[in-house]
Amino acid sequence: MAASSCRGVRSILRKYGSCGKSLCVSRSKTAPQLPVRQICLSSSLWKKNLAAAGPQKFTQEFINKQVEEFEVGKRHLANMMGEDPETFTQEDIDRSIAYLFPSGLFDKRARPIMKHPEQIFPKQTAVQWDAEGRPFHFLFYTGKQSYYSLLHDLYEKILAIERHQDKMRSKGLFTSDTKQIMLTGSRWLLKEEMEEHLVENVSDQDYTRLIQLMEKLLSMPYCSLEEEFVLKFRRQLEVQSSKQEIPVIQYDPQGVAFSVSDGRRKSAKASITLRDSGSGNVTINGKNYLRHFPILQDREQLLFPLHFVGMLGRFDIEGSVEGSGHSAQAGALRLAISRALLSFVSEGQVEKMRQAGLLTADPRIKERKKPGQEGARRKFTWKKR
Amino acid sequence: MAASVRYLLKPWTPSVCFVRWSRYNPYYLDPDPSKDAVPESELSVEEKELQELKTVSPIKAALSSDTSSAFSDPLISKFINMMMQDGNKILARGIMTQTLETIKRRQVEKYHKSPAAKRDEVECNPYAIFHQALENCKPIIGLASVQKGGKFYQVPVPLTDNRRRFLAMKWLITECRDNKHRRTHMYEKLSQELLAAFTNEGNVVKRKHDLHKMAEANRAYAHYRWW
Repeated sequence: MAASSCRGVRSILRKYGSCGKSLCVSRSKTAPQLPVRQICLSSSLWKKNLAAAGPQKFTQEFINKQVEEFEVGKRHLANMMGEDPETFTQEDIDRSIAYLFPSGLFDKRARPIMKHPEQIFPKQTAVQWDAEGRPFHFLFYTGKQSYYSLLHDLYEKILAIERHQDKMRSKGLFTSDTKQIMLTGSRWLLKEEMEEHLVENVSDQDYTRLIQLMEKLLSMPYCSLEEEFVLKFRRQLEVQSSKQEIPVIQYDPQGVAFSVSDGRRKSAKASITLRDSGSGNVTINGKNYLRHFPILQDREQLLFPLHFVGMLGRFDIEGSVEGSGHSAQAGALRLAISRALLSFVSEGQVEKMRQAGLLTADPRIKERKKPGQEGARRKFTWKKR
Repeated sequence: MAASVRYLLKPWTPSVCFVRWSRYNPYYLDPDPSKDAVPESELSVEEKELQELKTVSPIKAALSSDTSSAFSDPLISKFINMMMQDGNKILARGIMTQTLETIKRRQVEKYHKSPAAKRDEVECNPYAIFHQALENCKPIIGLASVQKGGKFYQVPVPLTDNRRRFLAMKWLITECRDNKHRRTHMYEKLSQELLAAFTNEGNVVKRKHDLHKMAEANRAYAHYRWW
């Protein structure tokens, strides 16, 4: 009984991380002996429970040493591959490691990697209390000190802006149309990114509350005073049209240009060859599209991309499709035709097609049936007794 | 990392489970399949902002019922979806096409029979007739059941545009399904009702007027509304 209670005390002490205290608590036997020279350590690229990792496992000197070794190793690698050490980027490192250590393992995370130690070793919380056990931060006992201190700062800023507003009003200089912060091309940090920023776990409700407070700050007229603070929590969004994969135009022996592409919808798979200098004939699975799609709506869907760019009579379409039902097959063919058209169309048209919804693969599938219900949404008949 | 398209296109389940959720990440915007773009000068400030937002946000896929052709009408598509039963879109769309054809035939017949002076007043475009008939069927004010002191009162309440459109379409469809002779087809009855509603006659417009009268009669309880 004494042994079990001792074990219980030990486990409690370990949970509250009082390893800094000079108690006779034996270190857990499972703490790994760290090797001196580490090149490949892929475990921390996975999502880790940052706050529960406890105080530092790796000291700052250790990480600095790892960074130095990484830099030296990078130069050695560049010399080995016969390239210039000054302009050796991370992509070059990845390429060289894949060449020197070819691996047939399926799991990408199990293959050899060489990355900057900042990406390998997780960001850790430093020890948060002094030698006497007194915590440094005044919000330590909330349990989520970074999160609450962020909320605290945010509220301070809101109050400061209100005081500024009152000052302007008393002087008679209050105007509602002040310079507003430009927010169109950016988005808020996601919950995962926020966790990384605060090095703490953030729950959904906490995150929603934080975003609400930020929006409140932004709703005030003089919010441009805190512009750089707010922009720290925004990420720029990239222009989407630059991300489209345009298929290459090929030429057949007669000199006619054609492009090939695929499309999918539900479980229907379609493949299209779009030939230039045609006369608007559409052949699906070897027969005319009127025979394959007797329904008008499906034929409309096939011709939608061509009608949208105004090239109805210019192309000949040759396609094969299999799987699912008539509507899904038509949707798959439409996506394939839109993708094939990208190589014949200008940049502005590509963006217009994307905004018309022609280039997005439809992710909707049949919703699964749940246990305890008759269907996906339908419940069993409710019987009173 | 997360700004890439692949991350956002992954099948997405919300962290807090809602009853109505979609496979799209909430960042996705609705597509606009129409072909003609409004020139820059005519856009208001909000529309310009929306345009800018569209260039950086991903867009959902266009529905299978929408095309860029001049013949696709969002109101007609909505009506077809409301008429559809058990997912039989082919039948619903067929009925709609037959209705529009019947309306056109009747109006052309009327056009040819009328004297030259009155011919300009006869509307032959079935789409225009449908739109006008729907407008005539939309109620302006509705009733909501509010409980106060143990009793339920019918309180007059303003309606949103979507609700008005929905009620008009619902009344048309229920009227055509219930109050007809067993042997008449849906498209015949629908075309009759639409032509009647176009001239503010017929059962659906009567139902709208009855609702308005009830709201007028219950005017005294209007202050029971707290929203």
